[in-house]
Amino acid sequence: MTEPDPFRFFRLTVAWIATIYATVITVQSLWGWVVYLSGNDKYMTMVRRYLIVHALRLRFKAFWGDVIVCILLCVAFFLLYRLHEVLVPGA
Amino acid sequence: MSANPSSPNDLKLLPPPPQQQPSDPSRPAAPAGGATAISVSSSAPRQLADLPRDELHTLAEEFGLEPRRFKSPQDLVSAIHARRQFIASLDREALLDVVRWGRRPVPINATNEQLAHEILRIKSMRFDGLSERGLVTLARMRGVEVGNDDPVPMVVKKLKKKESFFTRLNRKRRAILGSIVSNMIGEDDKSAEYQFLPPADGAGSAGAAPASISTTTASAGARDRTIKEEIEESGLFGGIASRVKKTADQYINQKLDEIESRIDRKLDEIDRRLAEWRDKEIANRIRILKITLWASVIVAALSLVYSYLKVYFPGMFGTSAKDRTTINRVEPNR
Repeated sequence: MTEPDPFRFFRLTVAWIATIYATVITVQSLWGWVVYLSGNDKYMTMVRRYLIVHALRLRFKAFWGDVIVCILLCVAFFLLYRLHEVLVPGA
Repeated sequence: MSANPSSPNDLKLLPPPPQQQPSDPSRPAAPAGGATAISVSSSAPRQLADLPRDELHTLAEEFGLEPRRFKSPQDLVSAIHARRQFIASLDREALLDVVRWGRRPVPINATNEQLAHEILRIKSMRFDGLSERGLVTLARMRGVEVGNDDPVPMVVKKLKKKESFFTRLNRKRRAILGSIVSNMIGEDDKSAEYQFLPPADGAGSAGAAPASISTTTASAGARDRTIKEEIEESGLFGGIASRVKKTADQYINQKLDEIESRIDRKLDEIDRRLAEWRDKEIANRIRILKITLWASVIVAALSLVYSYLKVYFPGMFGTSAKDRTTINRVEPNR
């Protein structure tokens, strides 16, 4: 019988439960928006255009610090994962 | 048309005006206002002939004709038809000049007939500010025979000669009355530039509008009429009513502008707040993502340390010999 590994348990939890939950919630939300915005009346057309305009007005500079931190954290996480694989293969 | 049909089914449509011809300078002036001056066309339109007598009379008056001069309805119909042909042949730019000078409210894409109807309502005899071509057109519309090369003083003289004695007398009387009223209430000489009404849908030819727009601001002599001139043209009550209406219009326009600017400000405010909300929302989402990533990286690092200790210090966790064989030790390079 293998010993209980808390980190393995954490990995499994994140990989399965949290990922599936986040995916379902995201797809549900996106589908709701698609259904809401696919109306043919003129007001919905205006809303669509307004959203596009707002999206175009969005400036990357306002969030670039946080976005770069997120990218670096992703890289760090990937490196740690690779290192872990080298240390404990098949873990 | 002033007369309304009794039922919508009985509506009799007028024939469409003939195709507008470019003004020909060599074309003789077609005088109006009398039966003798109009060249009667051979075929009167059928729909026009079907109109009742009173409607025909109203229509004739709108075209500047005197219906009592025509003995039979057929003559009147032919005269109206000829008058329409004459109006269609007039230079549009010259008609617009007259409309600007007379400050008549017309849309920029009004047809020649609409312009002519408005011009025929102008009774003013003060021709200052009117272009030469406009003066010639006005004279022709008032039934004065003038040529394109006639000098301006001669055209003005002919126009004044055309005015009857009693009409002139009434005009002078109204002018005196107007100057008295003007002196009483005090006239400020504000002159605003003439502006056309917004274009009406389906009115006029689309091609004529852009050419006319360029001339809108080019009206050099067009100025706001004084109350004296208004009373001279429309009489005491008409002039005062016109001035009151104009003042009320100005007030309403000013209020509408204020309301519009207030709505614009509100819309800008809503837009600004939405943009702020959008930025805040995105920043919030990114922060949540960042916290999740930090947590994942910290736990991954702890996991790595834990695995390292498990591999290199198996005694600390009581790892069995069997498990130890599966661990891949990282040997230093030699």
